[in-house]
Amino acid sequence: MTDGTMFLNPKLLVPVLLGGLVLWAIFIWKEWSQRNQRRFWIKLIVSFLGILSLALLVLKPTYSTTATFGKSILLSEGYRPKQLDSLKSKFKRIQIEEYTPGKVLTSVAQKDSLFVLGYGLEPFDLWQVEEKTVTFLGTDTITGWASIHHNDVITLGDELNIEAMYQNPVQGNWAVLMDNGGNPLDSVSFSGTINQLVEFEMVPKASGQFEFALVEKDSDGEEISTEPIPVQVIKREPLRILMFNNFPTFETKYLKNFLAENGHEVVVRSQLTRNKYKFEYFNTTANPMYQFTQKSLASFDLVILDTDVYLGLGSASKNALEKSVKEDGIGVFVQPNTSFFRQSRNTSFISFKPDGEQKLSFGDPAHTLVKFPYDFQDEFLLEPIRMDSISVAAYVPRGVGKMGTTVLQNSYQLVLDGNQEAYAMLWTQILNAIARRKEQNEAWEGLTQIPRIDQAFQFRLRTPVNNPKVRSDRTVIPLLQDVLVPNHWEGAAYPLKSGWNQLEGSLDSITDFSYYVFDDSQRWAMSKLSTLQANLRQFGNRNRETGKINKTQKREPISSVWFFVVFLLSMGWLWLEPKLGN
Amino acid sequence: MMEEGLLNGFKKRWQQTLYVECLFYAIGAAGLVYLVSQNIGYTVLALALAFGVSLAIIKPWKISVENAIAYLDAHVPQAGFSSGLLVLPPDQLTNLSKLQRYRIATQLQPIFSKLQPPHHVMRATLVMFGLILLGLAARFVGTDLGKASEGNTSPKEIQFAPLDSLSTSLEIPTLENTVISIDQPDYTGIPNARTTNPNLKAVVGSTIIWQLEFDGEVSEVTLDRMGELFPLSKSKNNFTLRQKLEASGFYSFSFKDSEGNAYVTDLYSLEAIKDESPVVEIEDLDQYSYFEFDEDKQVSLNTIITDDFGVADAFIVATVSKGTGESVKFREETLRFDGTFPKGKKRLQLQKQLDLDQLNMDPGDELYFYVEAVDNKSPISNISRSETYFAVIRDTITDDFAVESTLGVDLMPDYFRSQRQLIIDTEKLIKDKPNLSEYDFKFKSNELGFDQKSLRLKYGQFMGDETEMQTAPGQVSEAEDDHDHEEEGEEDDPLEGYSHKHDTENEHNLVEEHDHGEESEEEEEDPLHDYLHDHGDPEASTLFEKSLKAKLRDALSIMWDAELYLRLYQPEKSLPYQYQALKIIQEIKNSARIYVHRIGFDPPPIKEEKRLTGDIKDISNVNKKDTFDHQLSFFHARNAISRLEELVQAQNEFTEQDATLLQNAGNELAEKAVVEPLKYLKVLQGLRDLNKVSNRTMENYKTVRKNLLSVLPKVENNPGKENRYMDDINELYLKELESYD
Repeated sequence: MTDGTMFLNPKLLVPVLLGGLVLWAIFIWKEWSQRNQRRFWIKLIVSFLGILSLALLVLKPTYSTTATFGKSILLSEGYRPKQLDSLKSKFKRIQIEEYTPGKVLTSVAQKDSLFVLGYGLEPFDLWQVEEKTVTFLGTDTITGWASIHHNDVITLGDELNIEAMYQNPVQGNWAVLMDNGGNPLDSVSFSGTINQLVEFEMVPKASGQFEFALVEKDSDGEEISTEPIPVQVIKREPLRILMFNNFPTFETKYLKNFLAENGHEVVVRSQLTRNKYKFEYFNTTANPMYQFTQKSLASFDLVILDTDVYLGLGSASKNALEKSVKEDGIGVFVQPNTSFFRQSRNTSFISFKPDGEQKLSFGDPAHTLVKFPYDFQDEFLLEPIRMDSISVAAYVPRGVGKMGTTVLQNSYQLVLDGNQEAYAMLWTQILNAIARRKEQNEAWEGLTQIPRIDQAFQFRLRTPVNNPKVRSDRTVIPLLQDVLVPNHWEGAAYPLKSGWNQLEGSLDSITDFSYYVFDDSQRWAMSKLSTLQANLRQFGNRNRETGKINKTQKREPISSVWFFVVFLLSMGWLWLEPKLGN
Repeated sequence: MMEEGLLNGFKKRWQQTLYVECLFYAIGAAGLVYLVSQNIGYTVLALALAFGVSLAIIKPWKISVENAIAYLDAHVPQAGFSSGLLVLPPDQLTNLSKLQRYRIATQLQPIFSKLQPPHHVMRATLVMFGLILLGLAARFVGTDLGKASEGNTSPKEIQFAPLDSLSTSLEIPTLENTVISIDQPDYTGIPNARTTNPNLKAVVGSTIIWQLEFDGEVSEVTLDRMGELFPLSKSKNNFTLRQKLEASGFYSFSFKDSEGNAYVTDLYSLEAIKDESPVVEIEDLDQYSYFEFDEDKQVSLNTIITDDFGVADAFIVATVSKGTGESVKFREETLRFDGTFPKGKKRLQLQKQLDLDQLNMDPGDELYFYVEAVDNKSPISNISRSETYFAVIRDTITDDFAVESTLGVDLMPDYFRSQRQLIIDTEKLIKDKPNLSEYDFKFKSNELGFDQKSLRLKYGQFMGDETEMQTAPGQVSEAEDDHDHEEEGEEDDPLEGYSHKHDTENEHNLVEEHDHGEESEEEEEDPLHDYLHDHGDPEASTLFEKSLKAKLRDALSIMWDAELYLRLYQPEKSLPYQYQALKIIQEIKNSARIYVHRIGFDPPPIKEEKRLTGDIKDISNVNKKDTFDHQLSFFHARNAISRLEELVQAQNEFTEQDATLLQNAGNELAEKAVVEPLKYLKVLQGLRDLNKVSNRTMENYKTVRKNLLSVLPKVENNPGKENRYMDDINELYLKELESYD
C-alpha cells in the first residue's frame, strides 16, 4: 500500500496542506497578541484540529477493510453438464456466466470466487480473473490429435518426418497421410491405446508451399477429420566443390562423376608428377589453383582432399584452409587412407579408435561396403553422419565451418553393383552435412503455435538489419527490439484469412516469411489441450467443489461526518471561547 | 354343326387369350433383360425362354372343348348345365335332349360373341409393366453407379469439344456415328472387332480403321498421333482413316466446321501389344554331356516351346565337329523332332532322342545343338533359339598343344579346311572319279571349290580384305546359301568372271606391281599417298610385314586359280596350284611365328642419356573442361505442381507462361507415357485440358495436381546448399564450444 492510496483525492494533498498552513499561520498571526496567555495555546491546538478536519474533508482519507462477495460459475467450452448440475444443487441461486473468448466477464466484478468449468479461459483472458479465487474444475479428456510435429521448412529431396499423437483413438480407425493432391501416401491403424503415437516419413516431390494432410478415417474409409500439415519445400542450390588429389583414385573418379552429372560446379586437381597437375572443370570456368588462399577458397562450398594432400599442405595453405573453414564456413572433407587413421591429434582434426570391423552395411536391402577397421573416437563436438543409425562419416565443427571424413573405403563399389541410388543417398547425406550453408540475412520464427484468424500471430525476427520493416497485408507491423540482443525483433500480426499468409520483409534486405493459419476446425484438440494446460498451470488442479470464500482487502473512505463534527466543535469552541472569557 | 362351331370358337378364343397372356409375361421379362443388359441377343433369349416357361405353366393348348363346356356350364346360366349337348351329334340324342340342345343353342348364340373366356390378361399386363419398370429402375441405378465409377475411367465414346470457348450461333456439327474396326493380323486368330470405345488395344501389325460420321458440315478431320497428323479421307459425311498399329501411343481427333472453328477430342490411348518371340525351354539336360566311346551314346532332348500366338515350326540344329586345330571340320544338320506337331499351337512339348552314333560321331568329336523355334507371326516371324548344348565323345588319345613361350597369340585361324586337307580331298576325288556319277563328281568338285574359297577368304582377312565369310557355327548354313546364290549368279559368265581377273593377277606374281597398275590413277591424284599410313588400304594393313604380305597375296592368287579349276570340275588342273599355295602358306606360317612375337606394346625408343634423369620439363598440365546439363528429373512437371499449388491457393491468375510450363510438363511425361499409356493418359489429358480457357477451374487444377503427383517418381538424392542464419549469438556459442575443445 503506498501513501497515495490513503486519500481519495491525493492530488489535492499539496494545495490543501499549503492552504491549511497559510490559514493556520494567519490565525496564529491574528492571535499573536495573546501569546503569553494559556488560552493562546489552547486556541492554537483547537484551530489546528479545525483546519485539519477541513483539509481531511477535502482529501477524503480511506481505511482498509475486508469484505466478502459471492461465488459464480464460469462455463467455458466443453464443460460437463453433470458437474454443473451438482454445483447448482450445492450452491443455490449461484450466478452462471458463459465464457466467450475475448469478452469482458460481467460476473467477475461482483464475485470473488469462481468455478471454471470446461477447457478453461484462453490465455489472453486470464488477466480478468487474476485477483479472484478460481477453482478450475476442467473437463473430460480430449479426443483428437494432441500433438503434430513436423518441420515447417525442408529442402527438396529431404525427408519430411511427421510425428503425431492421437489421444483416445477409436480402435480400427486409420491415420492416413495424404500429399497435397490428395493421394494417400502412408497409413497407420490405431491400436486402441490411450495415446497413439503415429510417425510418417515422406519425401515431397516438388518445391513450393504445400498442405499435406493427416486424415483420420474410420474402418469403412469415411473421413472423420483432416489436419493440414503445412510445409514449405525449398529448392537446394548446387554446390561449388574443389577436389584435390595426389593420386587419381576410383573413389574420386566416381564421386567427381556423380557430382558433375548432378549439376554441381566441380574443380578437380590431380597430380601427374611434381608440380604438374591435371585440372578438370565441370560446369564451371577454368581457373587453375595451386595454393590455397582464403580468397581463392572463398568461392567454394566444399573442399575434398585426399589424405596425402591434406597432410602435405604447406603451412600457408593449411592456415588459409583453416581460416576459410572457421571464418567463411566452408566444409572440408578428407578422403582417408590407412595412414590417416594413425595420425596424432596434432596433425589431424579428428581421432579414431580401431574396431577391427572390415565391413559395414546399411539400407534396405542391405548394402555392404568395405571400411577401414576404425571407428570415430567419441569426442566432444564430434558429430557422426549416420546411415540407418550406423556412423559412416563424421565431422567436427570448426568455427562456422566443418571438417569431416569417413571410414568407408571404396564406396564406388555401390555404383559398380548397380546401386546408383544408394551411392547417391550416401554421398548426399555426407556432403549435405559438411558443405557450407547459404548465409541468410534473417531468420524468422513463429512464436504462436497455432495461428488463427483474427488472433495475434506472434513472431520473432532475427536480423542484423537496422530497423527492419515488416508488413502484413500492406500494413507495417511495429517491431519490438530486444533490450539485450539487438538483433532480435518481435511483433504480432493479425491474419485475415486461413491458409498460407505472408509477412513481407523490406524488399532488398529481408525475404518474406510464410506461415500457415488454421481455421477453427483444424488443430482443435491441440489448442483445447494447450488452453487446458494453461488453465491448470494458472489455477492448479483444485478438483473440489467447495470453493473457499476469499476475504477481499478493500479501502473505504472514512465518513466525512466525523471530520465535519470535529470541525464544527473546534469552530464552536473558537467562537465561544472569547465570550466565555468575557 | 353351328353350335359346335361356336363352342370351338370359344375354345379358340380362350386359347388365344392365354397365348396373349404368355406373350405379355415374355415381353415383360424380355424388357427387363434388355434394360438391364442392353443386349439384343440376351433379350431375344429371355423372350423365348420366358414365353416357353409361361406356356409350359399355363398350357393354353390343353384347353379343350370339354373345358369350354365345363366353363359354360359353371358360369353361364343360359347354358342350363347342358352345353355338353352341343357337341354331341343330334341324332344320338333323345328327344328331350334335342329340345334342350336346341333351347340352349338359341339362347347361347347371342351370348357367345360377348362371352369372355376366363383369363388373367390384366394380371399379365401388370406383371409386364412391373418388370419393365423394374428394368428401368435397374437401368437408372446402373447408369448412376456407372457414372460414379466412370468418373475414373476414360470416356467410352469419342466426344468433341470446341477448342476455343467461343459461342457460335452456328449449329455445331455432331458426331453421329463412330465405328472403329480393329483388324488383327490373321495369324493371331483374334477375330476382327468393331467398337466405339476409342481407347484401343491390339497386337502390333493390326490395321485400325476409324469411321466417323458427322451430322452437319465438316471441312476436314485429322487424327493427331503424338504430334503426327493424318487427315481422314472423306466420302459424303463419312470420314475414314486406316492405320497400321506399330507402337503404343496416344491420339486425338480434331475437325473444323464450315466456319473454320476447330474442335478437338480428348486424348485416347493406343496400346500396341508386341508379339513375343517363342520361348524355348530344354528340360533336364546338362549343358555339357560327356560320353565314353563304349557307352550308349544317347541324348534325350525334351523341349517345351511356348508362344503367345502359336508356334509355326521348331527343329534342332546340330553341328558335329570333327578333328581339332587346323583340320577341324564341321557338319551341320537340321533334325526334326520325333512325331509331327500341329502348326499354330501355343504350347508344344517335343521330344527327340539324339543318337550320337547315328550322327556318325567318333571319339573326340563334338556335337553342338540347339533348338530353334519359329512363331507364326507374319510377314517376319519371330525366331528364338535355346542355348547351345554340347555332347562330347571323349577321345581315346589327346594331344596337348603347347604354345612356344615366345608365341603370345596363335594367329592361325582354326575353323576351316586346311590347304593340306583340300589337297588330300582333291586327290581322293581324282582317284574316285571313275567310280562316281558325273553329278556326284561335279558336286564334290564344287564343294571343294567352295572350301578353297573359304580358305582364301580366311587368309584374305589377314591381308585386311573384306570378307563375307561368317564363322559362327550356327549360321554356317546361311553363309553357304549365300555363296551358292552368288555362284549361281555368276554362272551366266563363269569363265570370264574368273579367268579374266585372276588369271591376269596370277601372271603378275609381283603383287605390288599389279596393285601399282590398278591404283596408278589414284596415286597420281594423291601425291601424298606414299607418305601416308592409310589403314583403310588393305595394302597398308599392318598385320604382316611387307615380304609376308607379298607372299600371302601370292598364295591368295594361287588359291583363286585352284578354286577356279575346282569350280570348272577340273581337279587335276587345280592340284598344282594347291600344292603351290600350301608351300607358300607353310612359309608364311614359319615366318609368322617370329612375327607374332612383335605384336604388342612397342615402346618408342628412348635416348640412353635421357633415361632416369627425372627431367619433366616437357610435361605440362592437363586441362579438361566439361559441362553437364543437369536438371532435376521431371523438372517441368515438378514445377507444374508448385505452380498448380499456387493456382489452387488462388495466389494469382493463369498466365501464358503457365501454359508453356504445362506443355513442357506434358512433353516430359509423354516420353514416359509411351511405355505405359493408360497410367499417364489421365495426366496428359488433364494437362492438355488446361490449355482451354474454359477448363481452367479450381476443380481441374486439383485433379491435374493430384494425377501429376501420383505418377511422378521420388526426387533423386543430390547434395546441395541449405540455408542458415548466423548471428552474433550463434558465433559466440560456437566460440565457446571451441574453447572447450
